[in-house]
Amino acid sequence: MKVAERMLVTVSPHLHKKDETIQRAMKDVLVALIPAAVWALVVFGFNVVYILAVSCATAALSEVVMRKIMRRKPTLSDYSAMVTAVLFAFLLPPTTPLWVVAIGAFLAVGVGKEIFGGLGKNIFNPAIFARVLLWYSPLAIYTTKYVKPFFWKTSGFFTPVATSINEGAVGRVVYKTLAGNPVADLTSAATPLSLLKSGRWLPEMVSGPTPVGATWLNSGGKPSFWSLFLGLKSGCIGEVCILALILGGAYLLWRRTIDWRIPAGIIGVFFLLTLVTWYHPIYNLFSGGLFLGSFFMATDWVTSPVTRRGKWIFAAGIGATVFILRFWSLRPEGVAIAIFLWNIATLVIDRYIAVPKFGEVGAKAFNRLPVIPEPAPEPAKKRA
Amino acid sequence: MMSGKAIYKTFKGGIHPPYHKELASGKAIRRAPVPTEAFIPLQQHIGAPNEPLVKPGDRVELGQKIGSSEAFVSAPVHASVAGTVKEIAEITGFTGAKVKCVVIAPDTEQPEFAKQDRDITALSEQEIRDIAREAGLVGMGGAAFPTHVKLTPPKDKPVDTVIINACECEPFLTCDHRLMLERPRDLVQGLKLLMRAVNAKKGIIGIEANKMDAVDAVREAAKGEADVEVDILEVKYPEGAEKMLIFALTGRKVPPGKLPSEVGCLVQNVGTAMALYEAAAWGKPLYERVLTVTGPGIKEPSNLLARVGTPISTLIEACGGFAGEPGKVIMGGPMTGWAQPDTKAPVVKGTSGIVVLTSEVMDVSAEQECVRCGKCVDVCPMFLLPNFVVQAVKRAEWDKAEMWGALDCFECGCCSFTCPAYIPHVEYVRKAKAEIAALKRR
Repeated sequence: MKVAERMLVTVSPHLHKKDETIQRAMKDVLVALIPAAVWALVVFGFNVVYILAVSCATAALSEVVMRKIMRRKPTLSDYSAMVTAVLFAFLLPPTTPLWVVAIGAFLAVGVGKEIFGGLGKNIFNPAIFARVLLWYSPLAIYTTKYVKPFFWKTSGFFTPVATSINEGAVGRVVYKTLAGNPVADLTSAATPLSLLKSGRWLPEMVSGPTPVGATWLNSGGKPSFWSLFLGLKSGCIGEVCILALILGGAYLLWRRTIDWRIPAGIIGVFFLLTLVTWYHPIYNLFSGGLFLGSFFMATDWVTSPVTRRGKWIFAAGIGATVFILRFWSLRPEGVAIAIFLWNIATLVIDRYIAVPKFGEVGAKAFNRLPVIPEPAPEPAKKRA
Repeated sequence: MMSGKAIYKTFKGGIHPPYHKELASGKAIRRAPVPTEAFIPLQQHIGAPNEPLVKPGDRVELGQKIGSSEAFVSAPVHASVAGTVKEIAEITGFTGAKVKCVVIAPDTEQPEFAKQDRDITALSEQEIRDIAREAGLVGMGGAAFPTHVKLTPPKDKPVDTVIINACECEPFLTCDHRLMLERPRDLVQGLKLLMRAVNAKKGIIGIEANKMDAVDAVREAAKGEADVEVDILEVKYPEGAEKMLIFALTGRKVPPGKLPSEVGCLVQNVGTAMALYEAAAWGKPLYERVLTVTGPGIKEPSNLLARVGTPISTLIEACGGFAGEPGKVIMGGPMTGWAQPDTKAPVVKGTSGIVVLTSEVMDVSAEQECVRCGKCVDVCPMFLLPNFVVQAVKRAEWDKAEMWGALDCFECGCCSFTCPAYIPHVEYVRKAKAEIAALKRR
C-alpha cells in the first residue's frame, strides 16, 4: 500500500483546541477595547485617534527593529505589540504631545518587552512599564495634565491639541494646536481623584465654585454617579467610561481570555477597604484607572501568576496597594504603580506559593526544591 | 433534575476535545483479516522481558504460548495465528523503539478457537490470578501493566472496590463502547471475577454520559447483581485516567506516587475484564483484541477484532484504506497515542485503536515562547505546573522539574491541547522523567 511520505511523527497529544492561539487572545483584547476607544473619541475628540495611531506605529516599528537587532524571529503578527500600544495610549491624558507618545510606545515595546526577551519573558506589563517610567522622568509633566471632557468643543473635533509646558513662564501649561496656536479657554482640569486628593474630604471640596469649571460636575459642584460611571469626566483616554470597560471585560471573561479571579480580587479588596475606612467607596471605585487596570492590565498573561492561588494573592495585593497609594500617597492615583510592583511580586509568588498536587496530603504552603540525586529524606526526620 | 443538563460525577480540571465518536460508534465489531505475516512482540507489557519459547521453523498452534518469563511482573505472549515460525527478528515497534518479535507465517486455513465451557463460579482468588497470568492478560487501555500483578494488592492494603474503566474518554475510539453494547453480560461476569480475585465487596462500572445506550445495556445485564453499580460520568477528558476515575466515582484521592490500592481500589479496563472472562470461562489466552480503526483519514471507520501482531497496514486496508492523504497515523487514541512514521508496526495487546488524521484536521503550528497564560495549569487534572516543568527542562534544572511535578504527570496531554503557544509539554515531561530517573539511579 502506498504510504504518504509526509506522515508526521510528533509526541502526543495529536489534537489541539480549535482557535486557541496567542493571536486570537490578543485580537480578543483589541476587540474588547473598542467600546472604551469609541467612548474616548466621543469625549476627547479626534485627538485620541492621533495618539493611538502614533502609539501603534511606534510600537510596531520598535518591535520590528529591536527584534531585528537582537536577531529574533519577527512576531508582529501575534498582535501583542498592538495591544501594548493601545493600552499604553489609553493610559495617557488626551492631550499628550505626540512625540511623548512615541517615546513612551518605544519604552513599552522596545524596552519593556523586547529588552527583557520578548513576549513571555517580560517582567512588567509593557504599557504599565512605559507609563511608570514616564511618570518618573522629566516628561512627567506632559503626562499628568488633564483637560475637561468635550474640550474639543472649543478647539474643533479634528484639531490636534497638545499640552505645552513652560510657555512664557516656568511651569505654565497651555494647550496648542499642531500649528502652534494656543487654544483659547482650554485649561487643565482636575480628575475625580485629584479633586478628592486636594480636598481630602469630598463634600467640602465640591461645595462652592470648582477650580476648573469642569462640566462634569453638577450644579451643586458635585460629580454625579452617572458622570463617573459613564465617563463624563476628565482623565486618561481609556479609563473614563466604566461601562465601556465592563463591557470589554465581560467579553474577555466570556471568551476565557482573562481569569475572573484577578479583576474580582482587585476590585473586591479595594472596595472592601474603602468600605471599611468609609473613604468614599463608590466615588473611589468608579474613578481613576481601577477598572482599566483590573480588566486589561493586571490580567496580562505574562505578568500575572499562573496558579489560581497565586492569582488571588496577586489580585488582593494590587487592590490593597491601590488603596494604600490613593489613601496615603501624594499622588491621586495608584493603579499603575500597584500593578508595576505586583508584576515583580509575580515572580516570587509563582516560585514559592505551593499548589498541592492531586491527592497530596499535608501539603506545604511553600515550594521547596527536592534534592536530586540523593535519595529522598526519611519521612521520620520531619523538620519542626 | 427537572431541566437542563444533568450533573454527572467528574473531577477537577480537564478538557473537552472534539470527540468524533460518531465515526465508528455505530459499527458492529467485525473480524479483521488474518495478516500475511504476524509480528508478535515478545514484550507487550510493562515489566520484565519474555524469552522466546519457539525457534524458527517450529510449528505453532492458535493460542500457543510462544514467550514467557519467570519474573513476577511479566505476562506471557501467545500465538495469534496457527502457522510456522519464520524467524525471531528485531523490528521497530509502535513507540519507535526496537522490539524482539516472533514472526509467524500463518496457515492459509485458520482454525476457530476451541472454546471450552468452564465453571467460573467456584474459582478461588489464586486460581483467578493464575488464569490471568497464564492468559497473558495486561491492561488493555494502553498502559499494558500485567493484570495478575494488579490483582495481587499488598496484604496491608485490601481492595474493597473494583472499578471498570468504561469511560473511553479518548476521542475517536469506540471499541469499549461496542464491547459494552454487544457483550454486556461478559463484562459483568468479568467484573465479578475481578471482585472475587481481590475479595472486593463492590464493583462499579463508570461510563461517560455520551454512551447512554451502553449504560442501559450494562445496567440491564447487571440486574440482580446487588454489588455491581453502573455510574454515569461527565463527558470530559481524561475522565478515564485511573486517579481521576477513582476520585469521580468514590471521592477517594490516590496520593502522588501511590497506587490505587492505597485507597482500596482496583481499576481495570473494559477489554481487560472481558479478556479475563474469556480466559476463565473459555480458556482463551489474550491473542486478539477489539480495536477501533477510525479518523477522517479512513474510508470506512470500523471496530475490528484484530489478532495481536497484525501490521497496521492490514487493518487500514480492511477499512477501505486511506481517505485522502494521511497526515498522521496514530496508534492508540489521539490524546495519548503514538504517531507512526509508517504503517508497519504490529498491533499489541495494549492497542486500543488506530486513528488516521488528515492534514486538514491537524493543527501543527510551531512551538512558540510560553506566554504564561496559565491555561495548562487550569486544565491539569493533577494540579501540576506544566509550563514551569518545560521551563526547567529547557534550563536543565532537574530538581525544579521535579518540584513542578514532572514525576507526577501521567501525560494526558491536556496542557498541550490547550496551549496557545503550541508547546509540546509531554515531550519535555518525558525528558524530565528520564533525566531524573538517571540521576536518581546514580
